[in-house]
Amino acid sequence: MNIKKIKKISKEDDAPSILTKRTKLEKVVYAIAFIIMFIYAISLLYPLFYLTINSFQDALVYTDNLIKGENPFAFPSTWHPENYITAIQGMYMTDSWGEKVYLPEMFFNSLWYCGMALVAGVFSCSCTAYILSKYRFKGRNFIYGLFIVVMTLPITGTGGADFKLFSDLGLYNNPLYVLITNLGGYGFNFLVMYGVFTNVSWSYTEAVFIDGGGHFTAFFKVMLPQVISPIIMLGVLGFIGQWNNYTTPLLYLPDFPTVSAGLYRIQKSFLRDGDKPAYYAGLMLATIPLIVLYMCFSEKITKNMAIGGLKG
Amino acid sequence: MQSKKKEYKTIFPEGSTDISDNDVAVVSPKKKRNSLKIQETVFIVVLMIIPLLHVAIFFFYKNMSAILLAFQDARTGDWTLDNFPKFWEQLTTPVGNNIGMAFQNTMIYFGNKIFLVMPLSLIMSFFLYKKVLGYKVFRNVYYLPAIISSLVMVTAYTQFINPKGPLDQMLTLFGQSLPPEGLLGREETATTTIAIFVIWTSFTTDILLFSGAMSRVPFEIIEAAKLDGCGPAREILSIIFPLIWPTYSTQFIFALTGILSATGPILLFTNGKYGTTTISFWMFNEVYGDGTIGGTGSYSMISCAGLCFSAVVVPLTLFIRWLVEKIDVAEY
Repeated sequence: MNIKKIKKISKEDDAPSILTKRTKLEKVVYAIAFIIMFIYAISLLYPLFYLTINSFQDALVYTDNLIKGENPFAFPSTWHPENYITAIQGMYMTDSWGEKVYLPEMFFNSLWYCGMALVAGVFSCSCTAYILSKYRFKGRNFIYGLFIVVMTLPITGTGGADFKLFSDLGLYNNPLYVLITNLGGYGFNFLVMYGVFTNVSWSYTEAVFIDGGGHFTAFFKVMLPQVISPIIMLGVLGFIGQWNNYTTPLLYLPDFPTVSAGLYRIQKSFLRDGDKPAYYAGLMLATIPLIVLYMCFSEKITKNMAIGGLKG
Repeated sequence: MQSKKKEYKTIFPEGSTDISDNDVAVVSPKKKRNSLKIQETVFIVVLMIIPLLHVAIFFFYKNMSAILLAFQDARTGDWTLDNFPKFWEQLTTPVGNNIGMAFQNTMIYFGNKIFLVMPLSLIMSFFLYKKVLGYKVFRNVYYLPAIISSLVMVTAYTQFINPKGPLDQMLTLFGQSLPPEGLLGREETATTTIAIFVIWTSFTTDILLFSGAMSRVPFEIIEAAKLDGCGPAREILSIIFPLIWPTYSTQFIFALTGILSATGPILLFTNGKYGTTTISFWMFNEVYGDGTIGGTGSYSMISCAGLCFSAVVVPLTLFIRWLVEKIDVAEY
């Protein structure tokens, strides 16, 4: 009697034979797809590679190579890690008070800017999503519809009114701007958390009520911990988005430049002086934390990213 | 006959001496229901009050303020309708870096998003879903443009298309070369160059979302399709696409919502020169100016332009959204 060996199927490949079994024509198609996708992936890695190589280049050699059209990917004959020191200690921009703002201060600004934005944004969206997905009360449908309308109406031209409003509220050039503007509780985060809470069983809350707990206990001690994974995903994505956002700090927080806004303002003066490798070093310093952060949470982000539609 | 009293356990504040640990408090059902209802109401109000205030101030008040600004003179603040003829003149003048040029470029970026980026994202997501060789690496690398700052991507891209850069060296092999002023220094090529950059860096969130949606398609459906001899084209068109339609349509609606703010990193590339301005950049620049506090101060023209564009685009968007929602969702 022949006993067939049962092939161990890994967690990742629940059904490898169907998803990966291909006909000859499909193999050709997938081969072409692979080549195109590979070339595209290489092209996306090019900026990192280019900037990393040239951030260790000598400034004069870099400029000389650029003028002569020499190989831009050539490894430096002499490596200059001091470009990174120059980026930290030598690159600065001037705020409206005439004070010099260096890269470390910009990093500090980015940290509190991103932290406040994502804590306020993710928390407020979690609250509104929980209420609207789990509770039925008068006006619930109206509020949900209102949030959807606010998100999906393509209104434009409010830049001037925005500026005037924030100035009148005293939020212009004020760190509280970040907190106040992110407490809306609607937007992409709301959609994600709404879908997440919809799929969390109400029986957890009922169990809390039976044990004598209230709604606040149920939300903060039971329901929020249930959805910690998507919250972390939104937090990471929000952090990355806010870190790279340069237009909002440029407009509304000119004296609190974040890394992105500061590097934008620096590039005009620094590149004029010709020290591009040091500028590239500054860009790399701003980018490396985000890459590390994404790599730590990439699995969580991929698994939790889901939106289901705007019906309702 | 002694009436039966329903006994309920209830929570007393800590430190209360009204009841011992062994006793059970007697509370009427109606009072308990009222108490729970009040707790629930307080909970809902506490959690919703700030978001609702936020909508009231930063959506309704702000938009009303913008509408009123459209009817005010920028310098004097007097009520006027003069902004509208000025807007029309700027929209219809064929030459110059004006609102008409901005609108045209905005439509280019929007069209690229809807007709190029989203369909291509769908196809690429399909191959990732089908586990093309290296799919795990591709999935992470394709998200890099969302992680890496625009400053980095623009800097590298600008150096690549520099007249003495790698692109010029590649073209030299074919007997061609870039113009001396570069692709970004000419009106004929500047917008196209930036549009190509935007397409190059746009396959991030869509791929992540579409791949996620595809991974939730029940395996049994794919298996049944395979057993029926379904090829990849039929699979993506007749099975995958209908099943991930809620995700695709949501992204489509978000893209539609951003129709007037479709743009590229104009500030980083050309600062709006060489015919590259978009509606979004034009409005930003009117507020930001050269960085001085308050920018140019011409908020009235921004509000007027916004009002006119929104008056046309909002009903159009709502109509298209209604059409999209008419499409049946495949349940599984």
